[in-house]
Amino acid sequence: MAKIVTLREQRVMPHGSALDRFHHYDGTTYHGRSQLKPAPFENGIVGTYIFLAGLSGAAAVLSVLAATTGQSSLRRVERRSRYLALAAPILGAPLLIYDLRTPKRFYNMLRVAKGTSPMSIGTWVLMNYSGFSVLSAAAQAASDVWGANQRLQSVARFAAVPEALAGAVLATYTASLMSATSTPVWAAAPEALAVRYGASSMASAAAALTLGEIDPGVRGKLQAITAGALAVEAVAGTIAHRTYYRKGVEAAFQSPSGIAEKLGAKGLGVLLPLGLLAASALLGRRRGALSTAAAIATIAGSAMLRVSMLGVGDQSAARPDISFRFSTPSNLAEAEQDQRGSP
Amino acid sequence: MYVSPRAQEFAQSTLERVIPDESELTAGVRIEPGKSYGFFTDTTVCIGCKACEVACKEWNNLPADNLGLTGHSYDNTGALSANSWRHVAFVETSGNGGVRATREAPFQSGWLMLSDVCKHCHNAPCLEACPTGALFKTEFDTVVVQQDICNGCGYCVPACPFGVVDIGSNDGKAHKCTLCYDRLKGGLEPACAKSCPTDSIQFGEVAELQRHAAERVIHLHDLGVSNAYLYGVPNSPGATGGLGHLNAFFLLTARPEVYNLPVAPTRPSRRVAPSLLSGLMAVAGLAVAAAAILSRRE
Repeated sequence: MAKIVTLREQRVMPHGSALDRFHHYDGTTYHGRSQLKPAPFENGIVGTYIFLAGLSGAAAVLSVLAATTGQSSLRRVERRSRYLALAAPILGAPLLIYDLRTPKRFYNMLRVAKGTSPMSIGTWVLMNYSGFSVLSAAAQAASDVWGANQRLQSVARFAAVPEALAGAVLATYTASLMSATSTPVWAAAPEALAVRYGASSMASAAAALTLGEIDPGVRGKLQAITAGALAVEAVAGTIAHRTYYRKGVEAAFQSPSGIAEKLGAKGLGVLLPLGLLAASALLGRRRGALSTAAAIATIAGSAMLRVSMLGVGDQSAARPDISFRFSTPSNLAEAEQDQRGSP
Repeated sequence: MYVSPRAQEFAQSTLERVIPDESELTAGVRIEPGKSYGFFTDTTVCIGCKACEVACKEWNNLPADNLGLTGHSYDNTGALSANSWRHVAFVETSGNGGVRATREAPFQSGWLMLSDVCKHCHNAPCLEACPTGALFKTEFDTVVVQQDICNGCGYCVPACPFGVVDIGSNDGKAHKCTLCYDRLKGGLEPACAKSCPTDSIQFGEVAELQRHAAERVIHLHDLGVSNAYLYGVPNSPGATGGLGHLNAFFLLTARPEVYNLPVAPTRPSRRVAPSLLSGLMAVAGLAVAAAAILSRRE
């Protein structure tokens, strides 16, 4: 009789009780074979797109912010970020199409719009963003060529507002795209990953605008923005790694991609530029090689963050010990608590 | 054994056409649009013959893959893939250090075998991830990829919590079990279930299968198989994290991981909103800070 009671429990009790007997993962695997399939993305290609989407999306935001100050010294920043914002549509979109296994059917992405699929959300955001950024940059270019024209300037500024709104999504939806999968490392810390990507985008855009900026005052402002964004990225990165430890997926970082994330994204991309920017502020020489080096390191680190996180995710999906540890009920309870009330 | 009374109408050795509603004769169920169909795979009666794998390849015209030996017991298929939509897992529980035992306790106790398949989740993550609408829910409550729509973006592959969906290397499209959509349309039971000689794979209406499976577990418990439990029915391992129930569910006698199944998979789309919102809040916060920095007067 006792055995039948066990079954009744399984049928009538909420999740917890039926799962209790499998609460701890005991290290079992099926002949050591993967339980999940890693994403079939080409990490260099998709990582570069994610980086460019972040860079140009954040540049679009900075362009509008520079315009709203009304300061004439920021005109150059406004204009240059408008061109920088073209990186996603001109370079990024072709990379995405190239990564499809049946590229000639890329237009099928436009058949549906789905809130459950960040890939679909991203498609529509990129479409809208591309339209507004090309319009805004074209008006800017025309005004540059034919001399400052008030009407062209207002077209550029008008289009820049929806462009910046779409740009903010473009800079961060890629984290949501990775989190909304069953790949353990991507799924483990959705919020921290998104903050990390958003901050990295802002840092890389501000750093890119620092390069070639001659006005020392403006350069100083852009450096301050870079430093602030890098600090946020550092905090989000630390929180993300704590979550990876707690949810048992940290082992995936013991891989070439994990080392690239540690040395490239965190070391080269965050700590080094923060140190260089601090040194440059202390020495008071904002135009010097220090700030240029900081900007280059920030941009390179931002790209490496995206490429390495794709690789670490693949590693976590390929290793059954990690994916099984991740899909234990303890992680579930937390996930269900976190997400109560969301669709 | 139950034999449908309609069977007598088709006693001749050659038939001129497909038997209407043939599934009534072979699976005891009439296939009607609007109802929910699936598989109940009872691993306690699986003998590892792989007839399901062969029947699936035959019916669906799937090419061979992995022509070789894996060294993983009798499992030379390895995993579900673009070309293998049924996969029999073999686990040897007796013997020691790679040496097979020469004596076995009764009831096939030295072997665990499971015919794995797409779970046709109630809230299917692959379908929710698909940006083209190539993946859809059929009138039989099953999940199918439309090959003429799929553009091979590959997002359904990491979305699947069971590692089922795969991109074909020869055509660049996503492939997986269709629960024999074409056969269901014609009133035929899916090929794997029809070919299963021990009825380890049972096809039918999901609610009916679940009821039957629960009885089977009670029966096994009474026989002394106290570790039998269901995987993928409501409130059980496999049907967790918002996935709802699995239309293809299993009766297991060991931990899910033994058969390469996760204990507590989750529905990925639940992470879309928290992630998007946190990212946007970070950018908004940094934009406010940037606005303050930029508007500073020197």
